[in-house]
Amino acid sequence: MSSSTIQLPRVRQLIKPSSHKNTPAWVVGLLSLAVAVLIGVKGGPAQLVTTLVTGGMWALMSVGLALIFGVMNIPHFAHGESFMVGAFVAWAVFTPLNGYLQQHPSRFLSTVAPFAGIIVAAIVGAAMGVVIERVIFATLRHRTKEGWVMNAFLLTVGISYVLTNGATLTLGPDYRGVPQYWDVPPLQFLGIRLTVDRLAAFIIALVVIVTLWLFLQRTSTGRAIRAVSQDETGAQMVGINLDGIQTLTFALATATAALAGASLLFMFPAYPLVGLNPLYYSWYVVMLVGLGNVPGAILGGFIVALFQTATQQFFGISWINVVPTAIMVIVLLVAPSGIFGSEVKGIQEQ
Amino acid sequence: MNSSLELERPQAATKNGLWQTLVRALGRVGITPLGLGLLVIIAILPNVPPFNQEHILRWLIAGAFLGAQAVAFDFTSGFINVVNFGFAAMVGLGAYTSALLANTAPYLVLRLGLSPWIGIWVGALVAGVVGLLLGMLTLRLRGIYAAVMAWFVGIALMGLANNLTQLTRGSMGLHPRTLLATSDNRPYFYIIFGMLLLIYVTLNLVTKSSIGLAFKAIGQNIDAARASGINPIKYRVFNFALSCAFAGLLGGFYAHYYGSLTPQTIMHTSKTVEVLAVAYIGGRGTLWGGVAFAFPFIFFIEYLRSSLANLPGLQLVIYGILMILVMIYYPAGLSGLYYWAQAKVRSWLYRRRARPS
Repeated sequence: MSSSTIQLPRVRQLIKPSSHKNTPAWVVGLLSLAVAVLIGVKGGPAQLVTTLVTGGMWALMSVGLALIFGVMNIPHFAHGESFMVGAFVAWAVFTPLNGYLQQHPSRFLSTVAPFAGIIVAAIVGAAMGVVIERVIFATLRHRTKEGWVMNAFLLTVGISYVLTNGATLTLGPDYRGVPQYWDVPPLQFLGIRLTVDRLAAFIIALVVIVTLWLFLQRTSTGRAIRAVSQDETGAQMVGINLDGIQTLTFALATATAALAGASLLFMFPAYPLVGLNPLYYSWYVVMLVGLGNVPGAILGGFIVALFQTATQQFFGISWINVVPTAIMVIVLLVAPSGIFGSEVKGIQEQ
Repeated sequence: MNSSLELERPQAATKNGLWQTLVRALGRVGITPLGLGLLVIIAILPNVPPFNQEHILRWLIAGAFLGAQAVAFDFTSGFINVVNFGFAAMVGLGAYTSALLANTAPYLVLRLGLSPWIGIWVGALVAGVVGLLLGMLTLRLRGIYAAVMAWFVGIALMGLANNLTQLTRGSMGLHPRTLLATSDNRPYFYIIFGMLLLIYVTLNLVTKSSIGLAFKAIGQNIDAARASGINPIKYRVFNFALSCAFAGLLGGFYAHYYGSLTPQTIMHTSKTVEVLAVAYIGGRGTLWGGVAFAFPFIFFIEYLRSSLANLPGLQLVIYGILMILVMIYYPAGLSGLYYWAQAKVRSWLYRRRARPS
């Protein structure tokens, strides 16, 4: 301790994992690049566009999952149910609006109507997050002394069970979807047909992720969230309201998942178990990049989407869970804490 | 180890009747007199009028099947604190192995026609070996990683069962031969009841031995266990593999009892969740809690299902809420309740005896 000046760690280094000397990250990165080239050659650029669209949504889902794990140390198993709720809400809002628009055509309203569904879904998702956090996790937090990660995990399993079965009970197992949000011909460029729905989903994902990123980086609340994820006790000492931050984080995460479910309603029609696959995928992402690593999750969303597109392209759609899982298992054996590493204390708990 | 046993013994040794000897012998395999009574009652239930109807026999079989799974699951989650989230996949692996070995149907690649009585043991072996390999790979990781890895492997196994249509017919499902030629449910009940006892007694012997002590040490604090000279990975892998082997054995029973097998009905994550919930509500780290809860649970669920036919799934919602409530407010579960009541009764008896007469 000879130096008298205290070296302040640069914030950037704290959030961004160091990429040099990180062999697994390089291997996965180069592999993804190769896969991307292969897809581009075999399936044409259209496949790459699909990858981008779904990748954006998995990134959106995974950011929520990573935030929940990073800030609250909850391995959230019911994240897919937020997706499901979002899809149902968007359907419930959009379908009557669409029916009305069929009677009274209006160009402006039919452009705006889908956004109404998506925004209401996000709001309902946030409200659901607040309720679940306050009623269940806050209670558990005040009662648990040790083994928090595992207890919280099992509790989210229970929540998922209640929500999926509750949806089956109240809404039935039927599929409720919309063929498309915007009834306009697909865009054509470079020989690619891109429906407006997909484009909108991609743009929504990007906008939300960027907004979330700016919120986490630039606002005092966002800084408080990051502070809690780094050190709970320290955050409390500087006067951060821990309960408030945790509720906010949880609500943000469920809202983004609900938003994803609402934006992808044209791809995934709403039904009680619709959240299962998005849940798998977002878990692949957070495990791949390292639990609780938010910037990594954004990149990871696209990597996982790439693997999925490649699987679909070269093996067939029924293998879509098997091949990425196998890749994931191999990656995790080599780099147990993900390719970008994880700095969350919760994973140290056995 | 020995000295502690010696310390406990003198009190019991003073009374040396036949009953005491029996109680001690049963205690060594983890069965209390009350437990023995309940087991005897369950064993004779299939012959008593309201319970000898075929549909109630099926409930009893489902209860024993679920209870046995919960025992095997709790052996891992309650003792070494690793949640095997791919448990259902292991059950399915055993079921598929046994069903494929027993297959004689011409539409599949594999036609060995092995007797199911041998096949279920092969299924157990295969699940055990896969569990061993999986454990060797994942159990050096921390708890949540091990759980999620097991989950991923489970999803991959289910995907394989779905996709290898030449071998498994995928989601169309297999129709394995049944264990017995009879359509009577009673013999099957005694088979699964025997399996339940076998699994319970075996795992109980393991947990009562010094190995079980190591498990508990690892489950409570892995670093402290390592510091005191226990190799946690070795014990965890052994535990995991044993649990998976029993899961495979039960899967074999499932395949050859129900005579129909699809990846969705046996390997799905929701099946793991069901076993997990029963094991947890029953009480972690006791082995018997899951069994004690499984029977009333199945009866409750089936009764609700038949009486609430217009509300499908309500029983599952109630069950999920019960699981959440137990996890938050009473993590000790059913067995915790039992031990609490036992302590109360004991102290009451003690006070009565201490009172001067």
